[in-house]
Amino acid sequence: MARWLGQEIEPPRFCIRLHKEGKPLSGYILRRLGTSIVVIIGISMIAFGLLHIISSSPGRAVLGLHASARAVAQFNKANGYDDPIVVQYYHYVVQLLHGNLGYSYKLNQPVTSLLAENALRSLYLSGVSLILAILVAIPLGIYQAVRRNHLGDYLVTSGAFTFYSMPSFFLGLLLIQAFSLSLHIFPAEASQSVSVFGVMADPRAMFLPILNLVVIQVAGFSQYMRSSALDALSQDYIRLARAKGLSQRAVLSGHLLRNALLPMITLIGLSIPALLAGNLIIETLFNYPGLGLMFYNALLNEDYPTLLSYTLIAGVLTVVGNFIADIAITIADPRVRLA
Amino acid sequence: MTRVLDIKDLSTHIRLSKSTVQAVGNVDLYIDEGETLGLVGESGCGKSITGLSIMGLLPPGGSIVGGSILLEGRDLVGLPEEEMRKIRGNDVAMIFQDSSSSLNPTKNIGDQVMEPVMLHRGASKKEAYDRAIEVLELVGIPQAKERMEDYPHQLSGGLRQRVMIAIALTCDPKVLIADEPTTALDVTIQAQILRLLDDLKSKFGMSILLVTHDMGVVAGRADRVNVMYAGRMVEATTTERLFDEMRHPYTQALLASIPKMDQDNSRALFSIPGLPPDLTHPPQGCRFRARCAYAQDDCAESEPKLVGDSLHVAACFHPVVGGPLREDQMLTLKHAASYHGVGSSDEEPLLKVVDLKKEFPVTSGAILRRKVGSVHAVSGVSLEVRRGEIFGLVGESGCGKSTLGRVIVGLERPDSGQVLLDGQDVYAKRGKELVKLRKNLQMMFQDPYGSLDPRMRVASILREPLAIHKIGTRKEQEQRSIELMGEVGLPKTALERFAHEFSGGQRQRIGLARALTLNPKVIVADEPVSALDVSIRSQVLNLMKRLQGVHDMAYLVISHDLAVVKYLADRIGVMYLGKIVEVASGEDLYANPAHPYTDGLIKTIPLPDPRGERSKKDVGIKGELPSPIHPPSGCRFRTRCPRAQELCAQEEPVMRDFGVGHTAACHFPLIEPVQLLASKGSTQSS
Amino acid sequence: MIDNHERADEPYEPPEELGGALEGANLASPVYDAGDLGALTSGWKLALKSFAENRLAIAGFAIILFFILFCYVGPHVYHTNQISGNVLNSDLPPGAGHPLGTDNNGYDELGRLMIGGQAALEIGFFAAAIATVIGSLYGAISGLIGGFLDGLLMRIVDVILAIPYLLIVLIIATRWRGTVLSLSLILGLFAWLVPARLIRGEVLTLRVRDFVSAARVMGGSRRRLIFKHLLPNALSVVIVNITFQVADAIIVVALLGFLGFGLEYPHVDWGDMLANANTALGNGYWWLVYPVGISLILVVMACNFIGNALRDAVDVRLRRR
Repeated sequence: MARWLGQEIEPPRFCIRLHKEGKPLSGYILRRLGTSIVVIIGISMIAFGLLHIISSSPGRAVLGLHASARAVAQFNKANGYDDPIVVQYYHYVVQLLHGNLGYSYKLNQPVTSLLAENALRSLYLSGVSLILAILVAIPLGIYQAVRRNHLGDYLVTSGAFTFYSMPSFFLGLLLIQAFSLSLHIFPAEASQSVSVFGVMADPRAMFLPILNLVVIQVAGFSQYMRSSALDALSQDYIRLARAKGLSQRAVLSGHLLRNALLPMITLIGLSIPALLAGNLIIETLFNYPGLGLMFYNALLNEDYPTLLSYTLIAGVLTVVGNFIADIAITIADPRVRLA
Repeated sequence: MTRVLDIKDLSTHIRLSKSTVQAVGNVDLYIDEGETLGLVGESGCGKSITGLSIMGLLPPGGSIVGGSILLEGRDLVGLPEEEMRKIRGNDVAMIFQDSSSSLNPTKNIGDQVMEPVMLHRGASKKEAYDRAIEVLELVGIPQAKERMEDYPHQLSGGLRQRVMIAIALTCDPKVLIADEPTTALDVTIQAQILRLLDDLKSKFGMSILLVTHDMGVVAGRADRVNVMYAGRMVEATTTERLFDEMRHPYTQALLASIPKMDQDNSRALFSIPGLPPDLTHPPQGCRFRARCAYAQDDCAESEPKLVGDSLHVAACFHPVVGGPLREDQMLTLKHAASYHGVGSSDEEPLLKVVDLKKEFPVTSGAILRRKVGSVHAVSGVSLEVRRGEIFGLVGESGCGKSTLGRVIVGLERPDSGQVLLDGQDVYAKRGKELVKLRKNLQMMFQDPYGSLDPRMRVASILREPLAIHKIGTRKEQEQRSIELMGEVGLPKTALERFAHEFSGGQRQRIGLARALTLNPKVIVADEPVSALDVSIRSQVLNLMKRLQGVHDMAYLVISHDLAVVKYLADRIGVMYLGKIVEVASGEDLYANPAHPYTDGLIKTIPLPDPRGERSKKDVGIKGELPSPIHPPSGCRFRTRCPRAQELCAQEEPVMRDFGVGHTAACHFPLIEPVQLLASKGSTQSS
Repeated sequence: MIDNHERADEPYEPPEELGGALEGANLASPVYDAGDLGALTSGWKLALKSFAENRLAIAGFAIILFFILFCYVGPHVYHTNQISGNVLNSDLPPGAGHPLGTDNNGYDELGRLMIGGQAALEIGFFAAAIATVIGSLYGAISGLIGGFLDGLLMRIVDVILAIPYLLIVLIIATRWRGTVLSLSLILGLFAWLVPARLIRGEVLTLRVRDFVSAARVMGGSRRRLIFKHLLPNALSVVIVNITFQVADAIIVVALLGFLGFGLEYPHVDWGDMLANANTALGNGYWWLVYPVGISLILVVMACNFIGNALRDAVDVRLRRR
């Protein structure tokens, strides 16, 4: 048995144990996977449909307004843009399955490589801020629930409410004004390094964008955690735990935490679209070359293949996020695991 | 005998946002070593808050504002939290009503039982583990060792309650506070748990504070009983004296309003008029005054103190003399039989249910919804309700009685079988004809909160049935509503109100009035009084019975409470796991049950009668209700039946006659069936 | 107030025969033994009372009212030229003639704040209305019909909900001319998913409530169940949702404006006014950032305050037992 800090550690509680009476978990996961795939197919249809409606004649877009109608038609024919829509969708899906997300005529580059260039930098920004936000929001929410209707709770709630009612860029503007323009502690522009390691090596430049994202997310998460913890606090098992003579700390860590976290897992899974939207704004504001900035530039260029590919990826990420959250719930909640 | 717990002059208030509930006021109470003290009262009387005050676990806003709680001479009031924690779960332990929500759903049973031992006894993990298994075995959990890894949702309600008791007992507490420990359980399980608590009390040498609303529960289990009303202790004495020589009118009235198994059901139940006072503004003087038949002017002037000797105290200026109310002191209720009479058995029955089956599929999967099994809720039930009759249907929760009721009124479609009203098949009708037929088949619901539309005024609620069937002008409909309100004992002004402005009992009255609006021939009443307090319950029961007589209706009353059904019904059907196992008249069923399940059910019901309760030998029915997804083969009761033999597993028993209107389905009945008697050449024919 | 109250004050006369508390045999005169009724309060009154007692909600209302007056009455009192800019007057700090200074096109910032607010409020309201109407109908239909169609409709919601709202709205906004109407439509057409889920959930829980069963037992038609029982009870959820929708729509339209995809020049929204905020701050033109930003936050907060208070008020009414 492993020893850690002198304490005996049991095998991790949340490893999937197939219980004698429980149904095999794989069945549930497979079914959930099936639903996810259906949703992903739906997303691909929407992305394709939008691309088709908005940019129905790519030839015109590529060749410009002065190109002759014949040249445009020729281009469309050569690239299969005049096939029946079903055929076009079929080709689109086949290309997707081969990892080909389309071609950015504006940047003269396959979208896949464009995304790959920027993905890591965005992942770093989102990942770090998401983890920090979770680490701050959970204890904060529990603190608020325990100190309900006391000064501390009011202060945090007011703060969360204010930040929640603020467009994310406005908080960014305030941060830039305070830390960059007035105090000159942090730069107003994020790291411009091409490699993600370069970005990591420059924490000063990343401080403001990360802080901005963390605060915005904490404002949402902590209030959710607060209500989830309040809900758990009012449950009978908390009263029974107190009746056992457990200290407040033991009640909170031993009985409240896990139960209050269960709804949070789902919420975090669901918050991925908001996370990506947040990235778009923050990367634009701090001029950080990630997927969000790429998307913004594509908007300015009306580079639809890029825009819709990114939308497709974002949708898939959301589905994957929800799927992972569902599996996490299954592992963390014995009622689901051993239903 | 040493006094383990001694509460003096305890007052506990709960501060709400705008008002303060004076939940417990100047309460005295003591428990001796090895004693069970019953603390009885209706909901909101402060009995649970008293228990929670001892534990120092008051709800938010709650605080002890005066008095002392001495545990072996040490005052718990004002003890620092740290000291209090050492007492909780160690010297004083508590079990709660709802075991499904009281156990942590994400921690396994073993961890939850081990926790207190490790905390209070400093036991190692290994020691705690062994102790947990020991206690789990003591509380009667089979294969305790294997169960340690289980999570609460994997256990049945009865087993969960045992686990909660085990948690309370791990540290050998001196006092166990049991707050309604069996209220959420079925009667058969309730008997088992109460028996277990009794056994454990002597084994552990502890004292028990048994907090309950159920006089039957204290009658059998408590040495002494304290009665609370509206935050005050009104009477305290030994159990026998309380039942035989009570002094407080409230105690007398409360006992008289509980329907007993041998109740003469041609008489009205005694009922206490009105409602308990609002404890945010408790009345001056005696708090029971407004509802008391003995009250005089001085009751309003000052509040009576507890007076009496060390054996018996009561807080009343005009105490009761002569013990419980006798039946001849109660009014005769001219009910159904005396107004119109029950239809004879030769007549075509008013409502006839023929071989009704209803299954609910158990599905899995989000999109395809594969059917993986089915819950056999109702499996071939036949019954008849005659004109002007009250037919009672009893059974444990999950036996399918509510589903049967819903199928009869058309809320669920049956899988097969017929429901005939006046000889017409309800499920063969469509459209307008069905609507017309349904007029005669109304329903009264269990939940007084859910059954009235929160967005409608009572006037609209009562007018709705008439509006649906386009009966009368608006004026006439309004007139009818006023009439109905009078019939159910509510003033006309109540028509302008919304459902949330009424108490539970008042809402049930409105529900009954709504069911009456169309002058139906049959009303199906699903647990009409089980959500109500005892004193309110008898009001509603009397009302139901009276109106049935006046309007010449038939009721199908569904309840888990045999005493309620026995009081209301002319004939009773006993249901077990989707099947009717016995049908007989109330008297016959009680006196000569044929089916072992009926017999067990009668034996398990806690009676408000100390001697009767104490003389009970066995716990009635062992085990728990099997899953209706995989009901046992043959006789469904065989897994819990003391008389079961091989035949019971192989062959399903058929209904046999045991006298006039008395049928039961059992291979080895407790009394001889009629045809058997006949075939033996007996001259008797009843 | 009601006759039963007076009765309670009279001393209770014990009947001759004990147990006569129930005058069971006397059927002619009704027995009012059901106990007192509490003080008369109607459901909406109760909700209104709870709402009125919520100081934040009152503050929220005051803020909204102020901004409505400011944005719509303000321009009639404080006349400015918002049609053609004057580059000579650009980027003036607050001072005489221009209480909040001027922007880089020389427009008076205070006057611009007023007409920008009109757009923000209008888009917020229209988008919320569109989203709520579509969402409520969609959710109600899905919940009421149930079965296969319900599953299909909800999968569609899953699909659209999986696509980040802001991304899709931005893509479409690049294609449409930015007017108040077009932006409201774009926002509303992609924001109805949450209300749809909410209403569906509400309908599903209401559908199995006993009072709906009671209406079915009476023989009430499907139409009646839906219009008399289900929808009125689900309405409170819809109303609460609207306020949050307004807040969300105002934020999103501000984001669009900030990114440069808001209203078409010279029409202006608060978000559009912040499009160059980063540069403005760098140049020290604080008056071009803070008045707009604070107005925006105040209005969104006010909507959220009202929404929270409404939600609590509705809960109070339904929970009070």
